[in-house]
Amino acid sequence: MEKSINRRLLLKLLGAGGALATLRPSLAQTSSQAETPLPSFTGPGPNPYWNGVHPYAVYPQKLPLLRMTDRPVQLETPRHYFRTAFTPNEAFYVRYHLDEIPNEIDLSKWRLKLEGNFERPLELSLEDLLTQFKPVSIAAVNQCSGNSRSRFQPRVSGGQWGNGAMGNALWTGVRLKDLLDAAGVKPGTVQIQFEGLDRGKGPENLGSGRFIKSLDLNDPVLEETILAYAMNGEPLPMLNGFPVRLVVPGKFATYWLKHVTWIRALTEEDKNFWMATAYKVPDTPNGSTTPEDVAAGKVKTVPIGHFNMPVRSFIIDPDGSSPLVVGLPVKVRGVAFSGHGKVVKVEVSTDDGNTWRTALLGPDYGKYSFRTFEFTWRPSAPGKYVIAVRATDEKGNTQPDTPVWNPGGYLWNKIERQEVVVLAAK
Amino acid sequence: MKRILILVALLMAVGLVVAEVPGTVAGQWTQGTLGVILQPAPAAAGEGATIKIGALPMYTAELADGEGKELVMGYCSICHSVTYITMQPPLANWKPTMDKMMKTYGGEKFIPAEAAEKILAYLQAYYTPQTRKQ
Repeated sequence: MEKSINRRLLLKLLGAGGALATLRPSLAQTSSQAETPLPSFTGPGPNPYWNGVHPYAVYPQKLPLLRMTDRPVQLETPRHYFRTAFTPNEAFYVRYHLDEIPNEIDLSKWRLKLEGNFERPLELSLEDLLTQFKPVSIAAVNQCSGNSRSRFQPRVSGGQWGNGAMGNALWTGVRLKDLLDAAGVKPGTVQIQFEGLDRGKGPENLGSGRFIKSLDLNDPVLEETILAYAMNGEPLPMLNGFPVRLVVPGKFATYWLKHVTWIRALTEEDKNFWMATAYKVPDTPNGSTTPEDVAAGKVKTVPIGHFNMPVRSFIIDPDGSSPLVVGLPVKVRGVAFSGHGKVVKVEVSTDDGNTWRTALLGPDYGKYSFRTFEFTWRPSAPGKYVIAVRATDEKGNTQPDTPVWNPGGYLWNKIERQEVVVLAAK
Repeated sequence: MKRILILVALLMAVGLVVAEVPGTVAGQWTQGTLGVILQPAPAAAGEGATIKIGALPMYTAELADGEGKELVMGYCSICHSVTYITMQPPLANWKPTMDKMMKTYGGEKFIPAEAAEKILAYLQAYYTPQTRKQ
């Protein structure tokens, strides 16, 4: 007690202490850790934070991630793991629909089955996949259809993701085409159906019992689709689909089935819940509509697979958690990608989108990968600034500054902003 | 020189850091559980070809106290954790969600109509924009 009194007295004598000791809030311990937890965010306005507001939790094979729900498991990747073009496996987001998911797989019994309208139905072990087929690798972004859903206004129900329901990895595996050729797709096949080990407690024939997705046999994306057994050069984490998952470059993650165990050649269009009812978006150029049109029953919808992922870019640094200093350079860094082709330009604005300057792009890992960007900014006056970032892809698609709205909370790609405070240096 | 040393010794005696720099604040610390997560035990690896990761952590959200809470805890969590309720932006009308759970997802198989009515009443009572507390 005496110690602190003496200390205060001395600070007072020095003439600098009084205000500091009483007005100054205590320092955050790291840039991303504040002294109080964020209160849970439920609206009604849009979520103002980069990530969704959820507690951190540790899962097997994972670093602490933001847990949205535990059963089924839904984990969001914190912002700082997007500083690099490739998202670490242990930080990669997790999204399940059903709660019975594998913790344990006996590879001596597990087989990938190709069944249905094939000439030669197949059962392949993981070793068969590793040794009998040519391995291919592709860098591709996996993004949840509902990524950034918590931005929607008016709010829509569903998982309230921030921007962290996405990740980029180098996927290595077997070309789907090679598997289909090995089994011999019979004439009359219209779709290829995929099913993994996920199951739910609901009735088998409903969406709560099984999670199943299908791709049209004539969809060009089948040429690039792979069944991946490695992610960034390592086995897939269990929660990301071990032993193999589907990689459908440029398409939303709802098609990237985990733990794929059945591949079926269908002679009729798949009408299961996850194709016919869920993951539908308005059949408009950008998938946008209005609550009024939905209420009036005017909206025609199509599966989200009819869309490639729209072009997006994200500010990772600075994150606004600590002030910047006048005259000192700060690196505006982040990632960009597009489901339509390579990102060719990223522009940064430090005045809320009034003027734009071109950022320096990082290495090109292929048209479906994250591309990092960097822009050095030296703020010249103190004050509040709003940084904005927008990407353009090789097809000329640029991010809009107007929000989309649809009842599913899908296809968000509005220009991202970050408010920062610059303080004086004297 | 001797005088400075004496001054330093004196300052140290009253528990002061000698090198106070004007305008800086020394490291401050907060107490509490913020950022603290229990360290998980390493999983025991088996033999042969079985790959396992061990149990996944579960967590049950704290729901508002009120009539019907137990029904929600019991019936809704057959298929999913009740965090689905607390995570949502408050819904003005839970009926479409309730119908989706009962009909589209087959909740009718588990949940008697009478209990479903009480669950809906509970959600309307505690989880709409007007009634939600937090």
